[in-house]
Amino acid sequence: MVRLSSLPVHVRWEVYPVQHETASRVYYGGSYMEESDWWEKKQKRSLFNEFKYMAVEILFIRGLFKENRTLWLVSFPFHFGLYLMVAAFLLLMLNAVLALFVEGSIFIKPLDTLIIIAGWSGIVLGNIGCAGLLYRRLSDPELRNYSSFTDYFNIMFIFIFFLSALISILAGDPFFEGAKAYATGLITMGSSFNGYVPGSSISGTVSIISASLLAVYIPLTHMSHMFMKYFLYHSVKWDDAPNLKGGPVEKAIIKNLKLKPTWKASHIGADGRKSWLDIASEAPEEKS
Amino acid sequence: MKPSDISRKSECLCHVEPADLTPLPFPYEDYNDRTITALKPDKIKSIESSLDDTVAVGIPKPAGEEEEKAFVERFLAGLKKLFEKENNWTFLQPLILSMEHCAKCQTCSQACPVYEMSGGKDIYRPIFRAEVLRRIYRKYIKPGGKISARLTGDIDLNWTTIARLAELSYRCTLCRRCATVCPVGVDNGLINHEIRKLFSQEMGIAPKEIHDKGSVLQLSKGSSTGMIPLAARDSVEFIEEEMEEITGCKVNIPWDVEGADILLLHNAGEMLAWPENVGAFAIIFQAAGISWTLSSEAVGYDAVNYGLWYDDVQFSRVAVRHADIARRLRVKKIVMGECGHAHKALTVIADRLLTGDLNIPRESAMVTLDNIISSGKLKLDPMRNNFPVTLHDPCNIVRSMGIVEPQRRILRKIAPLFREMTPHGVDNYCCGGGSGFAIMSGYNFSEWRTLLSSRKKFLQILDAFSGEPEDMPKYVCAPCSNCKGSIRDIISYYDAEERSRIYYGGLVELIVNAMTDMKKPIISFGGEPSWA
Ligand code: SF4
Ligand code: SF4
Repeated sequence: MVRLSSLPVHVRWEVYPVQHETASRVYYGGSYMEESDWWEKKQKRSLFNEFKYMAVEILFIRGLFKENRTLWLVSFPFHFGLYLMVAAFLLLMLNAVLALFVEGSIFIKPLDTLIIIAGWSGIVLGNIGCAGLLYRRLSDPELRNYSSFTDYFNIMFIFIFFLSALISILAGDPFFEGAKAYATGLITMGSSFNGYVPGSSISGTVSIISASLLAVYIPLTHMSHMFMKYFLYHSVKWDDAPNLKGGPVEKAIIKNLKLKPTWKASHIGADGRKSWLDIASEAPEEKS
Repeated sequence: MKPSDISRKSECLCHVEPADLTPLPFPYEDYNDRTITALKPDKIKSIESSLDDTVAVGIPKPAGEEEEKAFVERFLAGLKKLFEKENNWTFLQPLILSMEHCAKCQTCSQACPVYEMSGGKDIYRPIFRAEVLRRIYRKYIKPGGKISARLTGDIDLNWTTIARLAELSYRCTLCRRCATVCPVGVDNGLINHEIRKLFSQEMGIAPKEIHDKGSVLQLSKGSSTGMIPLAARDSVEFIEEEMEEITGCKVNIPWDVEGADILLLHNAGEMLAWPENVGAFAIIFQAAGISWTLSSEAVGYDAVNYGLWYDDVQFSRVAVRHADIARRLRVKKIVMGECGHAHKALTVIADRLLTGDLNIPRESAMVTLDNIISSGKLKLDPMRNNFPVTLHDPCNIVRSMGIVEPQRRILRKIAPLFREMTPHGVDNYCCGGGSGFAIMSGYNFSEWRTLLSSRKKFLQILDAFSGEPEDMPKYVCAPCSNCKGSIRDIISYYDAEERSRIYYGGLVELIVNAMTDMKKPIISFGGEPSWA
C-alpha cells in the first residue's frame, strides 16, 4: 500500500460505469464527457455515490453475485465470515476495555450479545465458505488449472482457523469466554492469563494462533484483494479526473515527463539521457 | 490446458474445428462448417506459427541457440522495465494492481467474446496470457522466484513461450469487457496491452500493419493510409464534388482556418473508404453554421493513433502532433470524428500527457452532433430513415469513455425504426476489429477475425434485426471507422447484404439522410436510393 501511494500518476484508463458520476449517468454508464464544453462547467460528481457502491461491493461481493452466482454462493460466506471475525475481534477488544476501565458499564451486555452473534455467524459462514471454495477449486477444472499450491494453502490456512474456532465453541465455549479472556490479556499485556480461562483448549489456542498469523499473512498475499479492491476501483477503474490547466494532475505529469526511459527498440530512440518529453516531441527518422 | 502449457512442444497449441464455433442461425447455417483456411506451409516455415490456426505478428524463427538465448534475455529485460517508473510511469500502478490481485475466479472468461465464440478454447481465456506473464514475472524477475515458482505456479521460459505470447497478445481486441465484470477490478485487457508494449518498445516486435505501415507511416508521411498532405486535399476536393452529385447540396470543406471554433479530426481512412462520412460532417456543420476547419498539415488530417494499442512512445508522438497542430491553428476545441480509438487516444489517454497550451479541449463528435440536433438548427424528416437501424457501440467511445446517450438521443429523433442490440451501451460487444484487428489481414488473420472475434457482433446484429422483413433494407450504424471496417467484412464474408439486406454506415450519414434540405438521399442500399 505504501509502494502504491508513492507511484507516479498514471494515464487514465477508466472503464464505465464510473460510480462517482451522477446517479442518472451511473444508471447507463455515462460520463461527464457526454456534455458539450464540460471543461467550462462545474462537475456534479459525487464521491459519496462511489463509497456507497464500494461498501456493498466489498461487503457483499456484488460483482460476483451478478456475474458468477455459483461461485458467489461459496465466496460470499467465505469473505463475509472473515469480515464478521474482524468485527467480532473489534467487539472483543471494546468489551475488554469497558470491562477493565468502566465499572458496571451498561454496554457490556449488548456487547456480549453482539460478540456471540458476530462470532457464531462468522464461524459458521467461514466454515461453509472454506469447504465450498476448496471443493470448487478441486472439482472444477476451470479453477483447478489455475490453482497453485499457494492457493490451496491459503484456503487451508483459513479453514484451520475457522475449524478450530468452531470446535472450541462447540466443545464448551459457546459464549466466547476464552476469546474475551484473550482480548483482556492483549490489553493488559498478558496479566489476565494468570486467572482461570473457561474454554481454554487446544482448539482455542490453535484458533488464536492461526488468527494472529493470518492477520500478518493476508496482507502479504493476493488475498489482500479484499481491501485492495478499493485501489483497483478508485485509482484505476474509476479514475477519470481530468487534467485541468495548472492543477495537481498537470504538475504530476510535468514531473513524469522528465523521467528518462531506456527502452531498447530502435524506433524509440531512447539513450537514457533523453526524457519522455524529448522523445515524445521528436519523431526520429524511420524507414517505412 | 494450463498456462504452463504455452511452453509445450507442439505444432499447433490450439486448433479450432468448425463444430467448436458458436453456431450461426438461419439463413447462415451453411457457414457452420467453415473454419479458418489452413496456413500455407511454405509461407510459415520460417516464422512462429505454433499457437493456433493463424498468424498476426509472424516472428522469424531463430537461427540458432545464441539467438534464442538473446531473445529470451531481451524479453526479460523488457519485462523488468514494465515495472519501472522511468520506463512505464504511464501504466505502472494499474499494471501492478492487476498483476497482484487476480483471484483466478474465471468470471472474466464468460464475458470475453473471443473465448465464448471459440467454444471455450483455453488459450483465449482473458486470464491465460495474464497468468503466463504473471508466472514469468514472478519466477524470473522477482527475487527468489525460481524457488517460489513451485508454490505459486511454475512455467518454462524458452523462445517458443515468448514468441507464442507475442502472438497471443494479438488475439485479444482490448475491448475490456472482461475488466468490467471482474469482481476484484483486475483488467486483463490492460495486461495484454502491456505485453504488446513490451514487445514493441523493447524488442521492436509488432504487426507491420500497425507499426511499419501504421504509426511509422503516419509520423513520416502524414497518415497511416500513406496519404501525403497534397493527396488529402485532393481527396477532400473530390468529396466536395461527390457530395453535390449525390445529395444536390453544395458543400465547402474549410482547410487550415486559424481561430476556428473547431478543428475536426477524421480518421483519414474515411476519406478513402467512406468519403460520404467526411462529406456528411461538412454538410451538417455548414448547415448548422459552425465555425470549423480541417488541418492539411501532415498528421493533422489523420486522427488515428495506433500507438494506443501497442506502444506508448509512438502514441505520445502522434498525440503531441495532433495537439500542437490545434495549438498553432488556435482553435477553441478539437472534435473527434467517427473514430473510436482516436477518441480514446486523444481525449482520455493523452489527457495525462498534454500540458500547458497543448492541453486543448477535446470533444466527441457524438456530443457536438447531439448539440446541433437539439438546437433545432437542422430541419429533419425522420421518415426519410424509415428502415430498421441498429447501433453498434464502439468500445473506445462507450465502455472506455462513457459516451453512451448523445448518439442515442440523435437516433431517437431521426430513426423511427431504431432497434437496440442486446446487450448494448457499456455492455455491448466489440466489433471484433478492435486494437488493430480491423486493419490486420496478413496470412489468414482476417478470416480468424471474421470467424472468431467478430462472430459475436454478427450474432448481435442478426438478433437486433430478427423479426424484420427479410427484403427490407437494414442499417447498422457504426460511428467508428475501425468498427465499420470489420462490420463491412462481416457483411461481405457472410453474404449478409444478399441474404438479409444488411447494410452499414456512420451516424452522420443518417443525419444528412433525414435533412429536408437534401434533394437526394445520401444513403442508398445496393444502388437503390433510401428515399425518393
Ligand atoms: S481477472 Fe478478475 S474475473 Fe478474471 S480470474 Fe482474475 S479475479 Fe477473476
Ligand atoms: S479485452 Fe476483450 S477480447 Fe481481450 S480478453 Fe478481455 S474480453 Fe477478451
